[in-house]
Amino acid sequence: MLLAALVLATAPLYADYTPFYLGLLTEVLVFGLFALAYDLLLGHAGVLSLGHSAFLGVAAYTTGLLLARVRAPLELSIAAGAVGGLATALALGVFALRKRGVYLAMLTLALSQVFYYVVLMWTPLTGGTDGLGNLPVLYLSEPIGWRLSKRPITRYYVIVVIVFAAMLAIRHLLRSPLGRVMRAVKANETRAAACGYDTRRVKLVAFAISGFFSGLAGALLTVVLEFVPIENIHWQMSGTVLIMALFGGTGTLLGPFVGAGVFIWMRDFVSKHLEYWEVFVGGAFVLIVLFFPDGIVGTVASLVGRRRAVPISGMDEPLPDLAGLAGAAPRASGDGPLLESRRLSKSFGGLTAVNDVDFQVRRGELRSVIGPNGAGKTTFFNLLTGVLPPSSGRIVFKGADITGRPAHAVSRLGIARSYQVTNIFGDLTVFENIRIAVQSRVTHYRFWGNADRLPGVTERAREILRHLGLTAKRHVRGAELSHGEQRYLEIGIALATDPEFLLLDEPTAGMSPDETQRTAAFVRKLAGHVTIVVVEHDMDVVMGISDRITVLNYGEVLAEGTPAEIRDNADVRRVYLKD
Amino acid sequence: MNASILILVALGLSIVFGLMGIINFAHGVFYMLGAYAGWLTVELTGSFWLALGVAPLAVGAIGALVERGMLKRIYGTRNANFAGVLVTYGLAIMIPDLVRMTFGRPGKPFAVPKILTGSLFQLGATEVHGYRVFILLVTLVLLPLLWLLLNKTNLGLIIRAGTSDNLMVQLLGIDVARTWTITYALGAALAAFAGVITAPLVAVAPEMGGLVLIECFIVTVVGGMGSFLGAVAGGLLIGETLALTGMLYDVLADVVIYLMMALVLLVRPRGLFGQEGMSEE
Repeated sequence: MLLAALVLATAPLYADYTPFYLGLLTEVLVFGLFALAYDLLLGHAGVLSLGHSAFLGVAAYTTGLLLARVRAPLELSIAAGAVGGLATALALGVFALRKRGVYLAMLTLALSQVFYYVVLMWTPLTGGTDGLGNLPVLYLSEPIGWRLSKRPITRYYVIVVIVFAAMLAIRHLLRSPLGRVMRAVKANETRAAACGYDTRRVKLVAFAISGFFSGLAGALLTVVLEFVPIENIHWQMSGTVLIMALFGGTGTLLGPFVGAGVFIWMRDFVSKHLEYWEVFVGGAFVLIVLFFPDGIVGTVASLVGRRRAVPISGMDEPLPDLAGLAGAAPRASGDGPLLESRRLSKSFGGLTAVNDVDFQVRRGELRSVIGPNGAGKTTFFNLLTGVLPPSSGRIVFKGADITGRPAHAVSRLGIARSYQVTNIFGDLTVFENIRIAVQSRVTHYRFWGNADRLPGVTERAREILRHLGLTAKRHVRGAELSHGEQRYLEIGIALATDPEFLLLDEPTAGMSPDETQRTAAFVRKLAGHVTIVVVEHDMDVVMGISDRITVLNYGEVLAEGTPAEIRDNADVRRVYLKD
Repeated sequence: MNASILILVALGLSIVFGLMGIINFAHGVFYMLGAYAGWLTVELTGSFWLALGVAPLAVGAIGALVERGMLKRIYGTRNANFAGVLVTYGLAIMIPDLVRMTFGRPGKPFAVPKILTGSLFQLGATEVHGYRVFILLVTLVLLPLLWLLLNKTNLGLIIRAGTSDNLMVQLLGIDVARTWTITYALGAALAAFAGVITAPLVAVAPEMGGLVLIECFIVTVVGGMGSFLGAVAGGLLIGETLALTGMLYDVLADVVIYLMMALVLLVRPRGLFGQEGMSEE
């Protein structure tokens, strides 16, 4: 960071001191800021947007119109531009975030064109295809001595200061609790929601922030060029910023600036020799996507750094003791059911996966749900945790009706779960997997302060890691753990949200007999602290740990009772032995 | 944009998305290449009818090459769907410039075949041109054939099964890779066919793909991505809206279709005929 500042401060000294060169450098900086703002979404929140032309363009026109038509002060015009970018991003985000993935990308593109057409229709005000010119930038601004003079060198340094400040702000943001949540949403949206994060809102906030800094870039571009070309708001500008971000490398701070530099170099120098320079840009882009997805900065960094090997010394660690995770004192086992479903049903088209299920779990109980494949067990879990809305029936938790609440809201009430197929944040470190889950009980949107210094959170995460026996592997990416370790990590994530009610979907699936036994023992011990419902196929485990067992068959409750009762139940025997 | 043509292009986009989960940004380019292939055929042989066949075949082959040479590398990687967008977007930047390089910047005139020139009859105040009727008829013949291909043949069955559970289809011993190539080529060929039949109505130009691509996006959002009926209904709705607002108040035409898209997104995010859960929140 310091190095970057130094380079920027002295850059004019390295080459000929011509207005042309300085103008180019200034443009690289402004576009670098735009690409960085863009990468806030792509590289840090995992959202591919093709609508950023609208953010940049609306800001550029806002600033330009304020300067040209209202003769507003420069500072105000720039600030208004940034706010314009933010407002545009919010408006666009509200619509586009009704979808996800590539569909979202397509929507942002289509929606952003609305702004282009508005500019086109409003030619008297905006200048239409001719662009918006005659900006009295240079004559109006005379604030606190910061006169943005016609001298390119002064202008360069003013831009350097603003861009550098924005860069610092973004760096700070990425380290804040909010920044970490964005990264968790990128790594695994389902898991983030199950930790209690409202992922759609997180993405909307990311849109807004990205829009703000894109808007700042747009405003600066207007000031630098003293002109607003209509290309600024055309969708191809979104493609340009995408190319810049990917050339440089997403997920880095410097990448976008390098990418902007390379792109502008191609535009200005390659085009001198090759009239059809877009062949070159497009070709280079395809090659980068196919062969160097980390971009220039990312590829260089991995060549230089060669990821330091993390010592893996799990052998000497004490065996995990999951039971210690659930807090110190056993919870009071009060009266009445903790969770209850009343005539709960779910059908998919003609298929009824869960049919009229009445189900009650007492506080402190360990309940198993069993049944043949396709009996509706996982669907039942998805209904209880808000992943799927029921077709009919009610779900009551601690006396309150929670039917139809989304997954993140259910999590915040104190219901946590693990999934049948391991579901962790594969790209985050083991430590961050747990830390982000602990953080969900403290703050979601705080954009200041360092996330690693949240009082209580780091300590709690360390403690959980110790119980999981994963302390030595805390810097390893979750995806690099063994299968058994990932299963433990997932239970750890679920418990890190400090739940009262825990649903485990086949916790021993894929485990060795040894691991299975150990896991069964943990679950039993945990039951002293948390109310648990577990879906399990291993009958020895089920019979060994459960207080009561519910048997589902074809989406309906076939039987319910103690292990002994279930073992002797004629219906259950028929289903399990005959089918 | 003519509704029939919009339907054909959007259908290609929708089929590719349905199977591969890729938003094919090169789709507009295939449309443009179709028009150029047609123009070239007419220049060389003088036959419009030959062009109708050559354009989809040639561009379909290009599509197959793109799929085999580039897209194949990204399947199964992290963020494969994003990478698909990015690769095809790179092509969408590159290919128009390649075309400019080869055929020059200015557009190419493309005459309506003689037999179809002139107006057929009066309909109220407007004359109905023979060529427009021809486009309508071709679409009316082609759509049921496509529907049969996708719903009643083995290939169609594999395409649809591959959409819902790719791994399972592979386990059944079906060569999914080939199906994907065929599907992508089919999408490209559809776009090219639409391109060549549009050519006599507009000037053939390297830029002609960009606009149609975005209009197709709107069609598929309104109709429902991945749905045959959706592409037809969406194409009809958007095409006719464009034509009507174009007649009444030209400037508004582009904005109105965006408003329609916004409305559909608010009320029914999956689109008119989209399946539940298709890339939906």
